[in-house]
Amino acid sequence: MNDDHIDFGSLDPLRDPERVERALRKIARRAAPLLAARRAPRTAFQQVARWRRPMLAAAAVIMIASVSALLRFGGSSAESAPPTVAEVVGVPSTLAGWVRSDSLPTPGEIVVSLETTQ
Amino acid sequence: MADTPPVPDRELVQRARVGDAGAFDTLVRRYYRAAYAVALSACGSAMDAEDVCQDAFIKAIERLDDCRDPSRFGGWLLRIVRNRAHNLREYQRVRSGPPVDVVNPASDADAARATELGELRGRLEEALAELSPVQREVVLLHDLDGWKHREIAEAIGTSEGMARQHLFNARKALRARLGDTAVREHIHE
Repeated sequence: MNDDHIDFGSLDPLRDPERVERALRKIARRAAPLLAARRAPRTAFQQVARWRRPMLAAAAVIMIASVSALLRFGGSSAESAPPTVAEVVGVPSTLAGWVRSDSLPTPGEIVVSLETTQ
Repeated sequence: MADTPPVPDRELVQRARVGDAGAFDTLVRRYYRAAYAVALSACGSAMDAEDVCQDAFIKAIERLDDCRDPSRFGGWLLRIVRNRAHNLREYQRVRSGPPVDVVNPASDADAARATELGELRGRLEEALAELSPVQREVVLLHDLDGWKHREIAEAIGTSEGMARQHLFNARKALRARLGDTAVREHIHE
C-alpha cells in the first residue's frame, strides 16, 4: 500500500455492514418493480419506442440532406412548376380560367373552347 | 482457493437490462462505496450521501438502456450520482439552510469509541470541505475505494496526469489542514 494514503476509514460506509445492508435492501426493494417491468415482454409500441433516438437522428439527417439539395438544385423557372389540379384531372385550361375568374363565358366562347379541346 | 474472476460490468449490465435482479445487485454492491464517495464529496454529509446513492441506483436502472458503453458502467453511474447530489443541494438551498446531519447515537456499549470516531469523521469532513469538488472526488475514490488513476481519470473526464495532480494537491491540503488541527489541540491541552 502507498504510505501517502489518507485514512478515510471513519468515513467508509462499509464500516457499518448492517447499515449498508439496510441501504442495499432498500435499493433492491425500490428497483424490484423496475426490474420486473424489464422482464415482462415488450409490446410492439415499446419495441418501436426503443428505436426512437436512432429514428429521430436518421430523420434529421434526411431532412438536412433534402433541404440542402432543394436549396442547391431546386429551380424557380416556369418549366419546373408543378402541374395544377385542373391539368391533372383533364379540365381544359380555358374552363379552369373561367372558374377562377368568376366571370360567365358567352355561348360562343364555350363552343370554341370545346372544339379546341376535342 | 482459486478465486473466480469477477463478472465483467458489460455482462452484468446486459443481464440487468433484461431484468436480472442478481446482476443488478452485484453492480450495486460493486459500486456502492464509489457512489457513496462521490456523493459524500458533493454533499459533505453522510446521510445525504446515502440518500443520493439510493436515488442514483434507482435512476440507473430506469435509464440503463441509455448506458452506451456497458463496460464503463462505473463512470456512467458516477455522473448520475453527481447530478443527483447537485439536485439535492439545489433543493436544500432553495428550501432551507445548510443540510443538517443527524448523528446516530451509539448502539453498542462502547460509547467512547463511537464519540471518538464521530470526532474523527467530523474533522475529516471539515478538512474535505476545504478542497475543490474534483479534489474531494479524486482523493475519496482513490484512498477510500481504491480506484486506479486511469479509472479516476476516465470517471471525471480528465487525463491520468491531471488525476494524479488532483490527488497530490488534495492530500497535501488535507495533511496541512489535519496537521494544523492537531497542533491547535495540542496547544489547548
